[in-house]
Amino acid sequence: MAPDAPRNVSTSVLVVGGCGFLGHHIVSQLLAPSTAHVSVLDLRAPPNRLPNVTYYSADITSPQAVLSVFMEAKPTIIIHTASPPVVSDGQRSAQKKVARELFYKVNVEGTRNLIEQAGKIGCVKAFVYTSSASVVHDTVSDLVNADERWPILRAPLQREYYSETKGIAEEIVLHANRKYGDMLTVALRPAGIFGEGDMQFTPNLLKAYERGQTRFQLGENENLFDTTYVGNVAYAHILAAVALMDTHRLSALPLDHEKVDGEAFFITNGQPVYFWDFVRMVWAEAGDKTEPGQVWVIGKDTGLMLASMVEWAFWFAGGRTPNLTRQKIRYSSMTRFYCIDKARRRLGYEPKWGVDEGVRRTVKWFKERDSRNGAEKKEQ
Amino acid sequence: MPTASDVLYYAIHFNELRNIIQWQTWHDPVHNRNPEKEAPSLQICFDFLDKTSRSFSSVIKELHPELLVPIALFYLILRGLDTIEDDMTISLKEKDPLLRQFYQNTEKEGWNYNGNGPNEKDRELLVQFQNVTEEFRKIKPVYRDIIKDVTEKMGNGMADFCANAEHNINGVDTIDDYDLYCHYVAGLVGNGLTRLFVESGLANPMLLQRPQLQESMGLFLQKTNIIRDVKEDHDDKRSFWPKEIWSKHVDNFEDLFEPQNKEAALNCSSEMVLNSLAHADQCLFYLAGLKEQSVFNFAAIPQSMAIATLELVFRNPNIFKRNVKITKGEACRIMMKSTQNLQLVCEIFRQFTRKIHKKNTPRDPNFLKISIACGKIEQFIESIYPSQDPKKIIEAQGAAPPDPTPASEAEAKNKAMAEEAKWDTIYLLAAVMGTLFILSCLMIGTAYLFGARFDVALDQLSKGKLSKPSGDEAQSIIQDYDHGEL
Repeated sequence: MAPDAPRNVSTSVLVVGGCGFLGHHIVSQLLAPSTAHVSVLDLRAPPNRLPNVTYYSADITSPQAVLSVFMEAKPTIIIHTASPPVVSDGQRSAQKKVARELFYKVNVEGTRNLIEQAGKIGCVKAFVYTSSASVVHDTVSDLVNADERWPILRAPLQREYYSETKGIAEEIVLHANRKYGDMLTVALRPAGIFGEGDMQFTPNLLKAYERGQTRFQLGENENLFDTTYVGNVAYAHILAAVALMDTHRLSALPLDHEKVDGEAFFITNGQPVYFWDFVRMVWAEAGDKTEPGQVWVIGKDTGLMLASMVEWAFWFAGGRTPNLTRQKIRYSSMTRFYCIDKARRRLGYEPKWGVDEGVRRTVKWFKERDSRNGAEKKEQ
Repeated sequence: MPTASDVLYYAIHFNELRNIIQWQTWHDPVHNRNPEKEAPSLQICFDFLDKTSRSFSSVIKELHPELLVPIALFYLILRGLDTIEDDMTISLKEKDPLLRQFYQNTEKEGWNYNGNGPNEKDRELLVQFQNVTEEFRKIKPVYRDIIKDVTEKMGNGMADFCANAEHNINGVDTIDDYDLYCHYVAGLVGNGLTRLFVESGLANPMLLQRPQLQESMGLFLQKTNIIRDVKEDHDDKRSFWPKEIWSKHVDNFEDLFEPQNKEAALNCSSEMVLNSLAHADQCLFYLAGLKEQSVFNFAAIPQSMAIATLELVFRNPNIFKRNVKITKGEACRIMMKSTQNLQLVCEIFRQFTRKIHKKNTPRDPNFLKISIACGKIEQFIESIYPSQDPKKIIEAQGAAPPDPTPASEAEAKNKAMAEEAKWDTIYLLAAVMGTLFILSCLMIGTAYLFGARFDVALDQLSKGKLSKPSGDEAQSIIQDYDHGEL
């Protein structure tokens, strides 16, 4: 099932953050059937590089470093997926402050720098930015069938600083549309990305399985939740780049209802499933045999109460974040799904892999990686 | 007469009994037929409708007068065709032309058929079919043409399947064959009815441009019945479950009925349910195009019953042992909800979708696919009846400052909000107390006007007499007060 989209991409493409989880998938899809020349800019070039790809290592917040990479790579299309990982558990408040500064520096300043340098160099025709579906979500309330009419949230409504910085960066990118010569920009907002090489979503679920936590369920499991297989997200990025290049070929400005440049698009698998069904599918693929009758359902309110107690206890004992947090409970009992009709209509996007196939591929990849690691350890 | 088991069932499920009573008391047909003005042949036709159809006759009889007779006859004609197709005592040589040319007989004066076997349950309909043809010739030519066209296509489709020897021995092979078979026996009905609805001006003409929706209306019902009737059909030596599906779970179709294969059989039935569930959202979409209430009821009731039936058969091992069906109480509740508006029908769909989801288990190979299908129905309902309004969120956003607020400012804001909340509470309390006060004044004033003796009551209370005195005692106490010690 190789995507057929990059047929029009025959020019030079630079993937910023191309060694990351999503970036890596974009690079592989770009390489598969197209004649494009692909290069990658990342903070650190990886030890196992893909053939036929030029690697540059640079800090995206440094104007000089970025400019010199751009001068060399001369990209026609830039796909910017670089972003620091969202806060992980078990961090002290001092670490959280560092993380906040990092989010602002990379997401806002880094993105602004990339846009400015790309605008300056003149050869860039299309700039695709990976935003996040969480920019419209306050991380607490339900989000039901949201589409692009929903506003980007800012503090105090936006309670997650990461999402706030993604939202600011998205606005920087979209405001730059047609501001630097004929450089066109677009932003994609994927929701709940999982897949091979995933650093957060799937590993956390697999960890819970290894810890034997599969007999618990927080909330009634009537909440639909959107997830997106990484292959589909990568595919959408290529479609967006192609759409911007197609827009250049138009003799007039595109009509409002078919415009891609300067627009944001939600990208999901278009298959919202009940939150715990997704989780249980991952666990079942990993080998879990729990029956629905054996599951202990903890109501949302009870869960929130327990979590606050645990959180206070942890705070008292030294300020670490416990495993059970109110945020996790809200996440697992909240409705959060989107309408992707705009991407369907204007980008011609249709997910290539179903959620079920995505889960199967992902868990298989993790199993193989773990057995490989196990074998290596034994050899040592 | 209700059986003893029915009585016992409803004694325990009192709510369902309540539904039955409510439906029978409060259901008010949108239209009623008027038997006195009907020709004798038409009355005979309606008698046959009652005899041949369990579920459809009541909804048909409440249809708009414009479509009442055409649709009743449409039903009887297709029932006649079905009676020929079903009858294994008719030789293929005789059956084939009979099915293919049946549409021509519908208009022939005095046409009837007595070649059915003696055990065929609807044999009598064809023996007296001249009543149907006589009435059929009276209806508007446009309706007649639509009905004839569908009858011709269905007759040819049935004949093709009958002529297919492989089908007769092994049943339906691929999922495509399954869809094709259901198209002939049900999808075409959806198409015919849609054309009748639009022709009569009682439905949105856009429905004609959506053949997929018409098809789903028929397929959702047919496929659900095929799942429910698996045991009955198997006993009659027929099977409609496609081999492409059951062969993934068992080696021979008969194995589904063996108790030791329970798990495989359940997984197989899940896959059949998943296949049927895929039509559900399109049925809701279709119903949105129906304007007239009686037409809406006619189309919506069977669809709601189908989603309820689908929930009933989902992961239910009894379907391989006996006939399962929805209880009458449940049916009445569904009918009440399905005869009002689309939003309530969506409610029914969402409710049964969630029940299906609750029974879904990760050990089913189609676990996540079923979850996705349920999510699709919920998302569709959300798209026609959104529960969130982005405008409100934008307003809320407008009220909040767009940029991250500095700490001190945020604090001041929080304080202001807390202050506001405090005053809100005070006003609310004041309003409640005020209302109570006014009400009390009114009550006390009214009591006073009617001669209540508060002075006596208060004094007695202060003496510690808290309980109400008896009538005589009260009289003597009041006497004491009014006259003092004599």
